[in-house]
Amino acid sequence: MADPLIYLLDLVVFVGIYGILSVSLNLEFGFAGIANFGKVAFFLVGAYVYAILSALGVPFYVCLIAAAAAAALVGFLVSLPTLKLREDYLAIVVLTTGEILRQIVKSEKAIANGVWGIAVSPAIPTLGMPARVSSLVNIGLVFGCLLVCFLVAQRLANSPYGRVIRALREDEVAAEALGKNRAKYRAQVLALGSAMTAIAGGLYAQYIQFIDPYMFMPLITFTVWIMVLIGGPGNNWGALLGAALVLTFDRGANIIKDRVQNLPIDPGNLQYILYGILILLVLFFRPQGLLRESRLRTRALEKVGRGRDTAQGQRS
Amino acid sequence: MAVNWAQVLFNSAVTGSLYLLGATGLTLTYGLSQFPNFAHAEFITLGAFIGYFMAGPLGLGFPAGLAIAFLAVGLVGAAAYRGIFQPLAKRGASIIHLMVASIAISFILRYSIGAAWSWKPLYFTSNWPSLQLGPVRIVGLWLWLIGVAIGLALLLHFVLTRTKIGKAIRGTASNPTLALASGIQTERITIMTWFIGAGLAAVAGIFRGADTQVWPMTGWDIILPLFAVAVLGGIGNFYGSIVAAFIIGLAENLGVVVLLQLHLSTEYRPAIAFLIIIITLIFRPRGLAMLFRRA
Repeated sequence: MADPLIYLLDLVVFVGIYGILSVSLNLEFGFAGIANFGKVAFFLVGAYVYAILSALGVPFYVCLIAAAAAAALVGFLVSLPTLKLREDYLAIVVLTTGEILRQIVKSEKAIANGVWGIAVSPAIPTLGMPARVSSLVNIGLVFGCLLVCFLVAQRLANSPYGRVIRALREDEVAAEALGKNRAKYRAQVLALGSAMTAIAGGLYAQYIQFIDPYMFMPLITFTVWIMVLIGGPGNNWGALLGAALVLTFDRGANIIKDRVQNLPIDPGNLQYILYGILILLVLFFRPQGLLRESRLRTRALEKVGRGRDTAQGQRS
Repeated sequence: MAVNWAQVLFNSAVTGSLYLLGATGLTLTYGLSQFPNFAHAEFITLGAFIGYFMAGPLGLGFPAGLAIAFLAVGLVGAAAYRGIFQPLAKRGASIIHLMVASIAISFILRYSIGAAWSWKPLYFTSNWPSLQLGPVRIVGLWLWLIGVAIGLALLLHFVLTRTKIGKAIRGTASNPTLALASGIQTERITIMTWFIGAGLAAVAGIFRGADTQVWPMTGWDIILPLFAVAVLGGIGNFYGSIVAAFIIGLAENLGVVVLLQLHLSTEYRPAIAFLIIIITLIFRPRGLAMLFRRA
């Protein structure tokens, strides 16, 4: 790219978008122990709802809110058949939901031009301004949304609600014996996580200014999982760190791909082989990720002064 | 539009046979190891590639291709369990960690295949004789598929009911602790199940590849109906999965007729399997397993 600064700013925008995704997955997986293998489904819902509404001239913040609401609804509906079953059933259902939704937007021309895709206008028009300015505008928008999502996730994690979902993750029988309804909490967390994911989807659509069904492959889900697993499940800062690390690595691989000729192995393939190996290494040697699960912070614990070593559920 | 019902029924048998071969390993390993192995899709793909190269460029013929692919991919499956899933489980990995690990293996295999053979689709070149039986068009490959599926299902049934190994597999699946206490070497049995399951997936992969195309997504293309078979049949239940495979084969072929009548894209075919998963989970999460207490 001609302007290296633009390249860097572009990376920052992506870190923001994926940061929202990984914070939302961290909420679902890290705190609540929900195996959402269909992140891309909700990302797709967000991007398409945003694209369709913004084409009708709806202001961007309304588009984002509508996208979040639509995905929350989808997340809630998808979770219904599997709420009371074991973790793996939900994983299968959300994973396949992503495949079906992609098929729908691919086959139905009426939704958003089918396989041909649709152009999306940017949230804040920066026509005629230098590319750097428009990147900075996007960074402001994306990180504003990220900040909101992050604060929500952080507050939730340290609230009584967060303690309940962590308890359900650790020992559902014990938590249910205390009268906590597992199904209800799971549905709520999945709806909230999906809403955040959809906001990331909307931001992505307006930033790229184009969407088509092939941009929503299961690869996205897997990338977000890598971010959370590397960063440290149950730690929101870890989720952000994971997003930044993985995207930087991704960009590095792209630069090598562009610069270096005659590699013995196509870097596009190599990159995902390495991701797979990396995940296995993390699972084997550091399942808690780079950053440990964040300690519980409540006013009461701080007063007692024992917040460091009590009431902390260790990850199994 | 007139519908050729005889052809629809025959196609259903073909689809059902393919799904039976593909899903048997998925459901057996799922039942024994207690997590869905998403890399099963890549076992199918790997089988398709190995079969393609054995039968085509190396000129060993189709049956030899089937046998070699079965053994090779069976070993990959056993190695994946022995080398990755079993140690992870021993370290106390949760079911989510095991699922993530299976996706990681899935990526490693898929992109290694892509790197080794490129992403361009390959096609089996052999010309299968086709014959017309009344209103039904039959391709030789499909007869092979049905024959192999029924043959292997019968063989597996015989193994499961008549041999010590088979009884040990069933015992381990229904109660691992009791099986271990009765002197069954459950770990060895589990590894063997992974070998058989992955080998069957490879066989399914060759037929799928010969019928459509061989590329790194060959397995992933049919993973949705295979999960539907596992869920509908009852996780870990071999006999349930036989019935479920043919039910889903029939449902998909009838569904395509309905889609055509409604002027919808036939690309919605996977949605039928998806609906079956959802309906099963809502009304009968244990699938058809209750029908087959023995297994």
